[in-house]
Formats: sequence, C-alpha cells, structure tokens
Amino acid sequence: MAELVVENVEKWFRREDGQPFKVIDRLSFHARAGSVTVLIGPSGCGKSTLLNSIVGLERLDRGELKFVNGGHPRQRPLIGYVFQSPRLLPWKTIGDNIRLALKGAAVAEAEREQRVRNYLELVGLGEYINQFPLYLSGGQRQRVGLARALAIESDLVLMDEPFASVDELTARQLRQTTRRLCEQLHRTVLFVTHNLAEAAYMSDFVVTLTRRPATLDAYVANPLPTPRQWGPEIYGFAAELETKVTLKEETES
Amino acid sequence: MAFDSNNPTAMTGSPAGVAGAETIPSFGNSFGRDLLGRILPPVLAVTSVIAIWWSLYLIYPRLLPSPMNTVNEAIRLLSDGTFLFHMYQSLRRVFVGSVVAMFFSVGVGIYMGTVLMGERFFQPLVVLGLTIPGLMWALIAVMLFGINEWSPYFAVTVTIFPMLVINIWAGVKSLDKDLMDMSHVFHFSKWMKITQVILPQLVPNIFAATRYGLGLAWKVVVVVEMFGTSNGVGYQVMKSYQVFNMEGVIAWTLTFVVAMIVIEYGMINLAERRLTAWRPKIDVWRR
Repeated sequence: MAELVVENVEKWFRREDGQPFKVIDRLSFHARAGSVTVLIGPSGCGKSTLLNSIVGLERLDRGELKFVNGGHPRQRPLIGYVFQSPRLLPWKTIGDNIRLALKGAAVAEAEREQRVRNYLELVGLGEYINQFPLYLSGGQRQRVGLARALAIESDLVLMDEPFASVDELTARQLRQTTRRLCEQLHRTVLFVTHNLAEAAYMSDFVVTLTRRPATLDAYVANPLPTPRQWGPEIYGFAAELETKVTLKEETES
Repeated sequence: MAFDSNNPTAMTGSPAGVAGAETIPSFGNSFGRDLLGRILPPVLAVTSVIAIWWSLYLIYPRLLPSPMNTVNEAIRLLSDGTFLFHMYQSLRRVFVGSVVAMFFSVGVGIYMGTVLMGERFFQPLVVLGLTIPGLMWALIAVMLFGINEWSPYFAVTVTIFPMLVINIWAGVKSLDKDLMDMSHVFHFSKWMKITQVILPQLVPNIFAATRYGLGLAWKVVVVVEMFGTSNGVGYQVMKSYQVFNMEGVIAWTLTFVVAMIVIEYGMINLAERRLTAWRPKIDVWRR
C-alpha cells in the first residue's frame, strides 16, 4: 500500500490570448495508505487537472508528487483510474478490456484470467465476461471500469466523479459496491466529487479545495463508523462539509 | 378506453395469461423480410440498367450489341476457361498492388496523424500524388519497368497510395482522445496502442479506402494491361477492340463487374460485418 504525498504543487495554463493563469497554487496534502481521500471543491477549481497530473496526462509546473512505499518500482507509478465515463474499448469484450489493462500492468499471463474473473465477480458482472460494452447499461459499464482499475492492484486508485453520469439509484448501488471494495481490499484511493453526501459516504478523509487557483482549504477526518451505512448521519456529515465550503466561499466573496 | 402502454393486454385485447406463465412476444417473419430487403434493391438496380441497355439497343441496333448476344459471349468466356485465366492475372495484379499500398498507407497515415513533423513532411507529397492521374502512372510504369509484372504492381501501388493515406490520416485525426488517455494511464505499450486502440477506430476509414482503392486499382490495371502485358482482362478488352468486337468488349467488362461484385459482397462486406460485430445495429429512420 502506498501513500500519495502532494507537495507544493502548482499548475499554470494559458488562455487563448496567451495570458497565463494559475489553476493550482501551492497545494499540499496526502492521501493515506489504505484509505479513501475525497477531494471536493468548486467546479473548475482544478481537481481533474490534479488527477491528470498524477497519472502523467498533464505536467506540473512546480511541486512534487511522492509515492511512499510504492510497491511497483517503475518510471511511472502504476495507478488505477476510474474515469467519469467508463472509457472501455467498445470493440473488445468486458473480459478483454480488463485483460489489456493487466497486460499493460505487466501482470503474468497465467494470472490474468484469474484476476479478470475475480474482479468481475467482485463488481457483480461475472456472467458478462464475454459481452461487448455497448450491450451493457451505463451503470454496468461503470462497474467494469471499477473492476479494471482495481484488477491491476496498483499503488493508488484515482476516481474522477465516477458516478456523475448515472442516475441516483444506480449511483447509490455503485457507491455501496465501491465503498465495500475499498474497505475489503484496503486500497489507497483519491476520489473526486461534487456531491457532498457522496463525499460523506465514501471518505475516510476529506480534502476541501478553494476556488481557482485551488489550494488547501480544509482537511477533515470522517468521524462516521465503518462499514459505512447509508443513513441520516451521512447527510449530517454532508451538511457539516457544506457549511465549511460555503463559509469559505462567502468569506472570499 | 384508457390506453395503458405498460399493459400488453390493453394493446392486443387478448385475455390475460395464466399467472406464472410467460408470454413470449411475436417478432414476425423478420428473416424473410430481411432477405427481401437485402436482395430486392440490388436486383432492382441491375434490372434497371439492363432495361436501359435493351431500350438503347432497340433504338440503335447497329451501335450497341444485344444484351442476349453479350450474355452468350460472356457464358462462352466463362465455360472455356479463358475468363478464369485472364481474371486471375488481373486479380493478382490488383491484389498485390493494393496490399502493398495499404500496408504503407496505414503506416504513413498513422504517422501523419500522430506526429506533426510527419504531417508536414508527407502532406505536400500526398497532395501531389493525388493530382497525378492513374493513366500517367500506367505510362510511367511501362516506360520504367517494360512489359513485365512490375509495371502493374507499381502503377496500382502509387496510384491508390495517396488516396488511402488521406482516408487513414483523416481517421487518425478524429481518434477518441479519451480512449488514448485511458491507454496511456493503463501503461499500454506502443504496439498495444496501435493494434488495440488506434487500428480498430480506423476500421471504417480502412474499409472506405479499400472499396475506393480497389475500384481505382481495377481501372489502372486494365489500362496497364492494354499496352503493358500479354494477358489479363485489359489485354483481352484491347484485343476485342482491335477487331471491333463490341460484344467481346462488353462481355469482358461485364464479367469483370461480376467479379467486383463478388469481391464486394463476398469478401469486403463479410469482413466488415465481422469486424464491427461489437456495434449494436442502429435504425436511423425508425418511427
């Protein structure tokens, strides 16, 4: 299990007129090993940019990302990613989509088949192994995305608003599955969301970010017991989080 | 009566089934309808061409051969083995030239679409290649290589290459960025990216290019064979032309067209259906 340390990270973009603007400003926090850290903040504050920087899709301008106790000594750390949309290869079966990720992660061929079956069973899609993604529902596809990210057994799993594109009932089931798997598998997870109830349910720790340029606003430990149950206490903690975010925004304005 | 779309008995008026028994809806004779829908339009298209030809023959009997005589001539060519020999020669030339062109065009197209320097280097060459007619390449090939097999291979390859590249380049430019990012995140190797992510997205472009490329390759091969080889369909057409055998010219052309149709429906369509089996059928004009 690895711990992710984000240290004084800074990211700049350029407007169309060539003017630079700062998206992330000296942001520091850490995602503890084996726990779910939820990142919340206003729209467009740079949460997805941070995740993209962690997986190497964007380059940071300043600061450092450290993986403490990373089990995969390689040039680029192995990171599972559950995207907002499932991003499955539609011409490959569900099983092949996961097999390809395992091949990319250099998992031995003999072990791949077992992992594919194991993780599809964990997300409740064992019987769909030979099905093509376009024949599944949105929620089922997102489960496959979750199975793929977990199957590579990486140091860190990133989830970028993974349930934002499905209906609330499906999202609730997916949250339960994901939270159960996080508790069961003890993975280090960095989870981005806009939804405060989702943050309250999914998190062990919550990192709140300010408006752009994003910097650390608050770091809150979730007091709710595990295994997590969906109930009034979730909304209570969500309301507490809302107060913090809202208060900060009012102070700024 | 109030209409309840969730209640099938309200729509059909049939009595409700016994509790626990499952009623399987009838989908009608879709097989017969599919077959009719697939066969009728091309049959109608061919029939209308024959009808126009027949009418023109009735108006200008001296200028045009009768469809019946032409069909008889085609049957003779097919039965005495002449057709098979010459068609094989032409097919081989088209096939070799097309495969070589396809191989290089996929590589160059992907390179142009993914590397800016590649695009800047090849773009003027491709545009230049597109402006040169196939006939010119046929002449140049015969002058360069003489009367041998290299002439049609070269002429076909260089004629269809730029057109194939343009298609594949356009396909690469519209690749799904999200899938490319996904392949990067999950550490796909370059080979995996090309074979598992890029090429499958290019399948529609490759098929469009193949269809158009084959049509163009046939035309070029026929021209080269007319003056650069001693066998093949083009050579036979030229021979018939020299003795003013109009039935022969049209019979050879017809058999040639039939071979093209067999390739299109028998090979390309089947391959395309197989490679796009993952895609659910879309009924655009559904009401």
